[in-house]
Amino acid sequence: MKPYVPQYVGTITKYVFVDSPDITPQDIATAAYEIAQGIMIKETCFGCQITGSPEDVERIINHLQKLDPYRIYVKDRGFPPGDARRCRADLGGARPGYLGHEYEMDLARYITYGLQETDRMTNEKLKITADQKVPRPEMLDIEILESLMKEE
Amino acid sequence: MAKVFIYPATSLILSTLVTRFGHQPLGSAISIREHIQTPGFDSPPIQITSDDPQYGLKWAAVEVPSGIRGRMSLYGPLVEEADAAIIIDEPDLAFGCMGCARTNELLAFMLREKNIPRLELNYPTSKEEGVTFVAAIKEFLKNLERQ
Amino acid sequence: MMNEQPVKIAQITCGAEYSGIQNEITTAAETVGGKMFYPDVALKDVKRAYRDFGLLVKSPDLKLAIARAQAVVEGRIEADGIFIASCFRCAEAAIVRNELRRYIVENSRIPVVSYSFNERTGASTLLTRLEALTTIARRRSLMTREVQIGTTMGVDSGSSTTKCIIMQDNKIIGTGWRPTTEVLKSADEVVTLALEESNLKISDIEAIATTGYGRFLVGKHLNADLVQEELTVNSKGAVYLANAQKGFATVIDIGGMDNKAISANDGIPGSFTMGGICAGASGRFLEMTAKRLGVDITELGALSMKSQGGDDVPMNSYCIVFGTQSLVNALASGYKREDVAAAACHSVAQQVYEQQLQEVDIKEPVIMVGGSSLIQGLVRAMGRMLNTEIVVPHHSQYIGAAGGALLASGFVNKKKEE
Repeated sequence: MKPYVPQYVGTITKYVFVDSPDITPQDIATAAYEIAQGIMIKETCFGCQITGSPEDVERIINHLQKLDPYRIYVKDRGFPPGDARRCRADLGGARPGYLGHEYEMDLARYITYGLQETDRMTNEKLKITADQKVPRPEMLDIEILESLMKEE
Repeated sequence: MAKVFIYPATSLILSTLVTRFGHQPLGSAISIREHIQTPGFDSPPIQITSDDPQYGLKWAAVEVPSGIRGRMSLYGPLVEEADAAIIIDEPDLAFGCMGCARTNELLAFMLREKNIPRLELNYPTSKEEGVTFVAAIKEFLKNLERQ
Repeated sequence: MMNEQPVKIAQITCGAEYSGIQNEITTAAETVGGKMFYPDVALKDVKRAYRDFGLLVKSPDLKLAIARAQAVVEGRIEADGIFIASCFRCAEAAIVRNELRRYIVENSRIPVVSYSFNERTGASTLLTRLEALTTIARRRSLMTREVQIGTTMGVDSGSSTTKCIIMQDNKIIGTGWRPTTEVLKSADEVVTLALEESNLKISDIEAIATTGYGRFLVGKHLNADLVQEELTVNSKGAVYLANAQKGFATVIDIGGMDNKAISANDGIPGSFTMGGICAGASGRFLEMTAKRLGVDITELGALSMKSQGGDDVPMNSYCIVFGTQSLVNALASGYKREDVAAAACHSVAQQVYEQQLQEVDIKEPVIMVGGSSLIQGLVRAMGRMLNTEIVVPHHSQYIGAAGGALLASGFVNKKKEE
């Protein structure tokens, strides 16, 4: 077996996602470059990836979050950016995690709304809301839906 | 600051919220990073070797499929480290590290078994649910500070 | 062969990365001129495929597997072959694996191999399977040969025996058979035997093919034109000898070390499996049985046919150690030798049925080949299990050598042109 020598030891990588009508992924990446000070920034279709010491990465993320405080999403990544082991170009297809992002980013607008609303709440109101259950509308039976569509 | 296990362990939403409200999210990336940054034998893509499913025997018996034991070798240590957990039920479209339903069942069970503060909820499907979802998590994480 | 484009193999797996064997899969594919890739699908494709396919599994990665298979079958993504695999002992994945294989075979002409792995699965185990897959994908013209021409030789260097066949103008004219001791020595012996029988010199042979475990070594030694794994060679040989080259056929080869089950269409393998949990499910167990009963392996078949089937003899060869134990116990309990022989045959057939035949579609005719096909009790047991009349073609024990001689004739005219 071949020995493995890791790169970027001691660094962390974080994904920054943006889901905003005002700020594009490119804006995010540009803003990150501006204060990068040598830290590795990689622009992506959803925002950027930042690789460096935990302190540096946090410094840049804090700055980015100010651009649109309710619409910036962040998570850790195990791999450094552009790693051939995870790269779509090398694997022929997206790594499975990409589809998970797709799924959650579709829900981001609800989270953004929730963040804005809860920021305006008093402690009491927050507590009451946290315990609330929103009744879900019953799913329409697929056969009923089909017959409705046929009637149309 | 508490270490909060997030389930799905790959969740961007939970990771964002836990960090935003002042705590440290524990998820797949932490374990994967450790694998990727540790020298050893080359085993791309995620540097899991046959030793990892063997290590996974600590959490799952030998008749449990190797993929589950390999995943448990990522999660087991994190669960042991966790001070609290947030669980979103039915992560039916979280792939990769959370791609195996059997592992997910075992993982959620271990989190429930462990005597730590725990919040269980569903993904929001509307703006209104988004508010209760965020409120529940915010309130839960605020209370962790007091504890 | 080196400058050819790699064969694109769509990887449809669940659990490979987490079992620590992804690198083994990639390496095995590269060794045989293949390149594994993940069919690229979006989330909406996964949702749609999951709904369309209708198998409502819970694991997201299995939903992804369904979507990837659908993308390839529908032609949205191009692939030369498909490799489906999942963790050994995972019931959910086993169901998906089976149904996807069936779906692919029924809806496309893309060759597929399915496999279940654990953390100990190495590249060497995957090699033969992936080599067969790349061969079928890349060398369809070679695989479509139905008639032997010229004077050709096939040598099968197997784990327990070495065989040679010489063919001329679509007829077998010489054979050689020896237990495998030293790989090259045994090969030389069988070649000499076959040449003597056919009254030819080695210089008369126009093309040579080798197959079996020792194929590379023997291939180099004999300067073979074709060095080919036994899955494709045997299935080709089987349909040729059984005169079943058109339409569907199922080939079963219970070998000394592992078993092969191949589902072929027009002589080209569509899906196949190879393996065996333990030697208890292979010809090796029958060799042990013969030894224990004090008969030669060639007499075991006749002995077992004296019995009605030995149904009342407790026998389980899931594991060769337990199998041997039940063998000893059965004899000690006073069961007749022929009943014990028949029960051993039944047990091996049952293991092959449970472990291999679940991974391919059984379509008639079912052809049994390899040395074990001469053990009538085994053929009878398999026939009863599958409820069909099994076909055992002439020279079935020489299957790899016969398939090799047939395929080698693809090189006869080429060499003349040169």
